[in-house]
Amino acid sequence: MAVEDLAFLIPLLPALAFVLTFFLGKKLPTGGAIIPIAAISLSFLISISITLKLLANPEMVIHQSYNWFAMFNIGILVDPLAAVMLSMVTFVSLLIHIYSVGYMSHDKAPSRYFAETALFTASMLGLILSDNILQLFICWELVGVCSYLLIGFWYEKPSAASAAKKAFLTTRIGDVMFLAGIVILFSDLFKIFNGTIPEGVYILRFDEIFTHIPEIAAMNANILGMEVSHITLITLLFFGGAVGKSGQFPLHVWLPDAMEGPTTVSALIHAATMVTAGVYLVARTFPMFIAAPDSLMIVTYVGAFTAIFAATMGIVMNDLKRVLAYSTISQLGYMMLGLGIGAVIGAEAIGISLFHLVNHAFFKALLFLCAGSVIHAVGTHDMRQLGGVAKVMPLTAATMLAASLALAGIGIPGTSIGTSGFFSKDAIIENAYLFGETTGTWIPYVLAIVAALLTSLYIFRLLFMTFYGKPRTNYGGHESPASMTVPLTILAVFALFFGGLTSKVFNEFVSGTFVNNFVNMDINELATIGGYHLASHGHHHEPTLILWMPMIVALAGLLIAFLIYGLKVVNMDSLVSRNNAIYKLLYNRYYQNAVFTNFFSVKVIYEGLAFAGSFIDRGFDWLVKWTGEIMLEAGESLRQFQTGAVQNYATAVIIGVSLLVILVKVVMEVL
Amino acid sequence: MLNKEVSFTLMGVITSVYNYLKPRILGMMVAFLFLAVILVAVFSTAWPSLDQIPQNLEDQSNIQGIGVLIFTEFVVPFEILAIVLLSALMGAIYMAKGDDK
Amino acid sequence: MMIPIVFYLALAAIIFSIGLYGLMTQRSGIRILMCVELMLNAAHINLVAFSSYNGDLTGQVFTLFSIALAAAEAAIGFAILMSLYRMKDTINLDSINILRW
Repeated sequence: MAVEDLAFLIPLLPALAFVLTFFLGKKLPTGGAIIPIAAISLSFLISISITLKLLANPEMVIHQSYNWFAMFNIGILVDPLAAVMLSMVTFVSLLIHIYSVGYMSHDKAPSRYFAETALFTASMLGLILSDNILQLFICWELVGVCSYLLIGFWYEKPSAASAAKKAFLTTRIGDVMFLAGIVILFSDLFKIFNGTIPEGVYILRFDEIFTHIPEIAAMNANILGMEVSHITLITLLFFGGAVGKSGQFPLHVWLPDAMEGPTTVSALIHAATMVTAGVYLVARTFPMFIAAPDSLMIVTYVGAFTAIFAATMGIVMNDLKRVLAYSTISQLGYMMLGLGIGAVIGAEAIGISLFHLVNHAFFKALLFLCAGSVIHAVGTHDMRQLGGVAKVMPLTAATMLAASLALAGIGIPGTSIGTSGFFSKDAIIENAYLFGETTGTWIPYVLAIVAALLTSLYIFRLLFMTFYGKPRTNYGGHESPASMTVPLTILAVFALFFGGLTSKVFNEFVSGTFVNNFVNMDINELATIGGYHLASHGHHHEPTLILWMPMIVALAGLLIAFLIYGLKVVNMDSLVSRNNAIYKLLYNRYYQNAVFTNFFSVKVIYEGLAFAGSFIDRGFDWLVKWTGEIMLEAGESLRQFQTGAVQNYATAVIIGVSLLVILVKVVMEVL
Repeated sequence: MLNKEVSFTLMGVITSVYNYLKPRILGMMVAFLFLAVILVAVFSTAWPSLDQIPQNLEDQSNIQGIGVLIFTEFVVPFEILAIVLLSALMGAIYMAKGDDK
Repeated sequence: MMIPIVFYLALAAIIFSIGLYGLMTQRSGIRILMCVELMLNAAHINLVAFSSYNGDLTGQVFTLFSIALAAAEAAIGFAILMSLYRMKDTINLDSINILRW
């Protein structure tokens, strides 16, 4: 039996584990953690062997599709893009499940935790494996539900409950846009087939969608006086879904709050896997994006802006996990930027962006797990109370250092020496330079470079404040148990070396997703439809300064952080005060809360609704009142017929039937 | 009821007939109305009857035919019916038995 | 020798009307159940008559099933009446209104 025939087991095993854990978990030690761990290990083994197989045969693609109903199918599709995602998700999920055994050992309901994470893993894997957009959407919603459940895992805390609600509602905005995009896409395809779908054609399957891109692109819609191609509309709506899920500006507000859940959840869902679903969606529908005029530009700008916007807020946060949350948003911005510059480099963008995604999954999961280890041992996540943790927890500190180096992207350009983040982020920034060179807009490049500086600054600030220096308060603390440190070490190895070892292979592998696989897409031709001018290949001869630029800003960030937080050359206390306008602005997160909650929700929606409500109320008041009164009167008199005795009803029915027959007879005679 | 005096005056008969009919008269009228409608319908319909005679005049018994039908074409409904009957009986027994102390 | 189908139908109509009359006027639960059975049997007569005249045994098989179902229904009905009687000491349906609003 070939391993590709087992592909369907990848999501099914965790789903089965969910059911088993849910019902049996309470009776087993550690909340039945062994069930999801075993299931996900199997999934991981299948995924990794499939990936290796695909790597060996670039022509191969695993596609199984079954009729669901009418013109919809369910199916699995493993192409390079899905394969690397599968391997990454199963791997990170496996490590985090192992880590959770230790982390959740003091919790009240570990079985619920493991059941929910197993369900999450299953839905995430289902999302990745989908071969049609409908199934993808269903799994997309499922991961949203799991995210809601897990953020609100400690639902007895009001802050966790409201954070879960906020996450759910905010991502819902994106999901509705995504659904609207699917609906438009469906109706367009329906029109293309003239309403008669041949047997065996499933119109929401990706190959069907992709082969009809030119026809969809030819359709135009008129929105507010602007001619917009349908493909742009659809892709922008899809991107709206991705913005919600991946925490891009302006729907990023839920992600920092989502840190109310257990740290492992933050690591698994809100750093490594679920939030990357948006990036995956854009990558998966990349042929549509590149055929859509303006869409990729918007992706680029939103991504670049999010990268720097979140990074600035990350600098001033005092909560360990919040710094990491803003860092996640920022890095997701990088990934979107990486996809957006597909406008000039074509399919290569998928490889670059996915490479960053995978590397980010490793080091960000690691960062979160290290933070979790600290929180687990110390019991606080306020950095101002920490310091010198490295002495107590040397292994955690070492892995944290590795992760920070990976996030900041330290490495030597031109060689294959460097941390994972170095290779992937560098590739994005370099290509942003290429983007600037080709299109003449340098904004994405500048934003990306500044964001790189800020990234390095905030992560080393976190490192110095938490792990080095003198303890600011008395805290207990001990190194975490082996079930927690082993995953940390494994992830640290990956965070340090994965990028350097695989960067070339990875990019070629993933970039080939749409070239001669599943569907044979000519990206260049599609780019012509979208009106993008792809830069010729082999264009990579950036000036040395540009090549070294990301490295320089990363080191600069490290240096600044070291000077301020390590050596304390500048007294931060004077800078960090409520009187400093910039600090205040950043600390209050650009007053988003004020704008979104206090102004938008309360003023606009509540009061608007209240006003409209009272207006309508008074207008309809007497109408409603009199309708009610008349109904009451009518009911009062009619209820006398309702004796409740079936015999009376039977009599009435018989009389009615007889009279009706007579009436019909009479009418027939008369006519 | 037994010690009630029975009077055979005309008025008494009328009264007793009236008392008998009073709660039933509506039902009777409706039943007769319905019967009339049905009978008129039945008798005024031209039933085709010539070429539709029972098959096999020599052997009027249809037991064998019914048995074959039940165990071939209608075997599934038959089995379902058996289950329904069994469960109805069980339910009836359960309800009728009451709680024995 | 054929009896015209109209007679069967008339017989069924009369039985049905009798059942109908009882259903509308009686107050005792058992009587009402009996009347319902009468109406049901009237329908069975029709079924068998048509089946026989069409030379198709399906109608008769159907009738057999229907009779079996009627048995189940009667069993349940009487069981309900028994538990009602135990509870209320009466099977006069007018005084049984526990399910009325």
